[in-house]
Amino acid sequence: MATDKAHPNYVAIWVWLLALMGIGLAASAIPGARVIAVTVIFATATAKALLVALNFMHLRFEPRLIYAIALVPVLFALVLAVTLVPDFVFRR
Amino acid sequence: MSSSVQAPAIPGIPAGKVGVWWFLASEIMLFGGLIASFIVFRLGSAGWSGEAAHLSLTIGAINTLVLLTSSMTVVQAFAAAERGHASTLQLFLGLTILGGLVFLGFKAVEYTTEIRAGFTPASGIFWSFYYTMTGLHALHVLAGVVVNAIMFAGARIRNPRRVELAGLYWHFVDIVWIFLFPLLYLS
Amino acid sequence: MSESRAGTITAEAGAHHEAPGFWRAYVFSTDHKMIAKQYLTLGLVWTLVGGLLAAVMRWQLAWPDTAVPGWGEIAPEVYNMLVTMHGTIMVFFVAMPILLGAFGNFLIPLMIGARDMAFPRLNMLSVWTFALASLVLLVSFFVPGGAASAGWTGYPPLSARPEFTGVNWGLNLWILAHALEFAAFLMGGVNYLTTAIVLRAPGMTFSRVPMIVWQQITAAALFLLSVGPLIAGAVMLLLDRTLGTAFYAPQVGGDPLLWQHLFWFFGHPEVYVILFPALGLVLEVLPVFSRKPLFGYRWIVGATVVAGALSFIVWAHHMFISGMDPRLAMPFSITTILISVPFAYIVFAMIATLWRGSIRFPTPMLFALGFLAMFIMGGLTGIFNGSAPADIYVSRTYFVVAHFHYTLFSAVVFGGFAGFYFWFPKMFGRMMSEPLGKLHFWLTLVFFNVTFFPLHHIGLAGMTRRIANPLQYDMLVPHQWINVVSTVGTFCLVAAQLVFVLNVVWSLVSGRRAPENPWEANTLEWAAPSPPPHLNWGATPPTVYCGPYEYSLPEAREDYLPQNLGPARVR
Repeated sequence: MATDKAHPNYVAIWVWLLALMGIGLAASAIPGARVIAVTVIFATATAKALLVALNFMHLRFEPRLIYAIALVPVLFALVLAVTLVPDFVFRR
Repeated sequence: MSSSVQAPAIPGIPAGKVGVWWFLASEIMLFGGLIASFIVFRLGSAGWSGEAAHLSLTIGAINTLVLLTSSMTVVQAFAAAERGHASTLQLFLGLTILGGLVFLGFKAVEYTTEIRAGFTPASGIFWSFYYTMTGLHALHVLAGVVVNAIMFAGARIRNPRRVELAGLYWHFVDIVWIFLFPLLYLS
Repeated sequence: MSESRAGTITAEAGAHHEAPGFWRAYVFSTDHKMIAKQYLTLGLVWTLVGGLLAAVMRWQLAWPDTAVPGWGEIAPEVYNMLVTMHGTIMVFFVAMPILLGAFGNFLIPLMIGARDMAFPRLNMLSVWTFALASLVLLVSFFVPGGAASAGWTGYPPLSARPEFTGVNWGLNLWILAHALEFAAFLMGGVNYLTTAIVLRAPGMTFSRVPMIVWQQITAAALFLLSVGPLIAGAVMLLLDRTLGTAFYAPQVGGDPLLWQHLFWFFGHPEVYVILFPALGLVLEVLPVFSRKPLFGYRWIVGATVVAGALSFIVWAHHMFISGMDPRLAMPFSITTILISVPFAYIVFAMIATLWRGSIRFPTPMLFALGFLAMFIMGGLTGIFNGSAPADIYVSRTYFVVAHFHYTLFSAVVFGGFAGFYFWFPKMFGRMMSEPLGKLHFWLTLVFFNVTFFPLHHIGLAGMTRRIANPLQYDMLVPHQWINVVSTVGTFCLVAAQLVFVLNVVWSLVSGRRAPENPWEANTLEWAAPSPPPHLNWGATPPTVYCGPYEYSLPEAREDYLPQNLGPARVR
């Protein structure tokens, strides 16, 4: 078993997560400027996901192989999403 | 333990962790495919925000809070397991399980309310996606609760490595919700 | 002692191990070798079913609307069911369990010097899940309405509304059987990847791992990464069918094209999931019987990984005529042409391995060479199918059927038999009959071509897929003789497999006892007894000193150098 590796401060990360969630909720409540609101909402969501992945899941401390196993599917999912755009966004 | 491993494994990665990450990779593709389909349909149609307005933002936000917190408690459980503090481990595992159950409880309330209001999976494409995505996610939450409960109940299998692996799965389920919430409730 | 660290079992644990009873040894086994045989058995049983369906189909095509002996007349809806189940069974219940389930399970731990898979109990769960999937699919034949009949590709709206096919529970069970099959191979895939990464013996670096291990883990990774979107799509299809959701129903906001994208996003990597293990089998056999190292090991690995990665961005070449956005046609044609490059490299590497070797021709080698020749032919027609302008003409015709049978059949049958004949002595401790093996090969090769080569012609003549009666089309009437030839070829091909069955039974019962290393090969499994005992290696697992293809080394005493014997055998 690995010796004690450096721990991120889990509670601090949790506070950040709640803060980001608050920002996202606030952005959604602001009337008008939908594009900006949506950008903020998904930027905060991505930030939250990264915080959880890098800190709670310890990706920050794992060997490159684990990073690769986590990253490659995200890329492939993006490829799928992008390729679906012509058929489903522009044709409807 | 590790001293009897004969294989020149990539240093420091136990088998269980490799296995769980590969499993999570396949799950990323599963939810990724579902979410990608949702996004392109959403971008291609108008009027979904009207449908989404029928969702309870409050419950969704509470559920997000609950899952985020339970992510924190499960990793605290792992930290306690690493330090060998059995009672702290049990406490945080219990809180995590509780969080999962609360999430599922709220989800059940939501579903009941929505179905009573006439919004079933057959009510149109938004609702089809909503029920499928949250339903599949809820099944994953349930599976996570079961795994955590088995560890809570069984001291023999409650070692740091296993807590970490269960935690990895739980964090993944949390990350999926981190994206589902804004996709369904906020946009 | 935790079974999940099977590689770490020390000598004392080996000595404590008492012989398990019948149920633990043959039914509820966690031994990768027994699980491999379970997958093999299930796969071979399904081969019979899938082959029977094909034989009935071909009778109907050659002599439409005459009664098939033992079956009766084939109504068009029944023909749809035959076509559907033939495809589903061959891809998911024959190719995958045999090439991945059986060979992957048997070979990976042995070849890397491990005692078992990383997760033996998960392994057992995977084969039991597959057995359950098999049961569900079998039951689907007998429910009211019959088995699924919307094509192995299951396109909605045909598959989404029971009233369109007349099949209700059959299709629901079809979806469920796939879900279980996917779960089984997801478990298996996790096991293979983890085992190869974590349980290699000392000295077994990734560049000394036998090529088939690379191919198996690439196939496993491809499957793990591609099946997710289809599971999502299948859940959506099931919900459309049962709960009335709107995913594929245009009238309520859905789109049938979504299914096609999700299906083929998986479907294309899936054909390489089937192909790579077969390539691996052939790539193992060729060096042994050429007494030469495998040519370009690192480049083959690179080509495999590149082809695997590319396989995720070629899928819409199955959809050129689906009505998708025409602007997608060019990018996908380009990526498809690109993907032929790494496969061409692998084929050249095979030929280069043979070049100037001291070639011997036992049965496994014959099948490996047969694979090479037939796969080249299949690959060539792939080029036409992969370019949108040509594909617009040949899509949905028998030209495509000929293409994928040349490639898939090469993989599953020629590759599979090459592996089977090669490793049979190791798996069962007996040698197979060489004369029967050679007869089996030549009959299979000849009748395979009689069956499938003419399909190129009738496809180009305009015979479309999935039609029950070609004679309904005036333009096909003059070409009907091609259908008759193909059907006769089919029956002869099926009959030829009896030679194989005979060989297997005879060999199991009274074949010559196999020595440890009958083929004088290098890889680690040949250092274990035939068959290997439980936990494979006795007191100490092997240590590895060299690569797997050290044949005809000038400085070695013999023309092969087993990986575990290293320095002692040189000079």
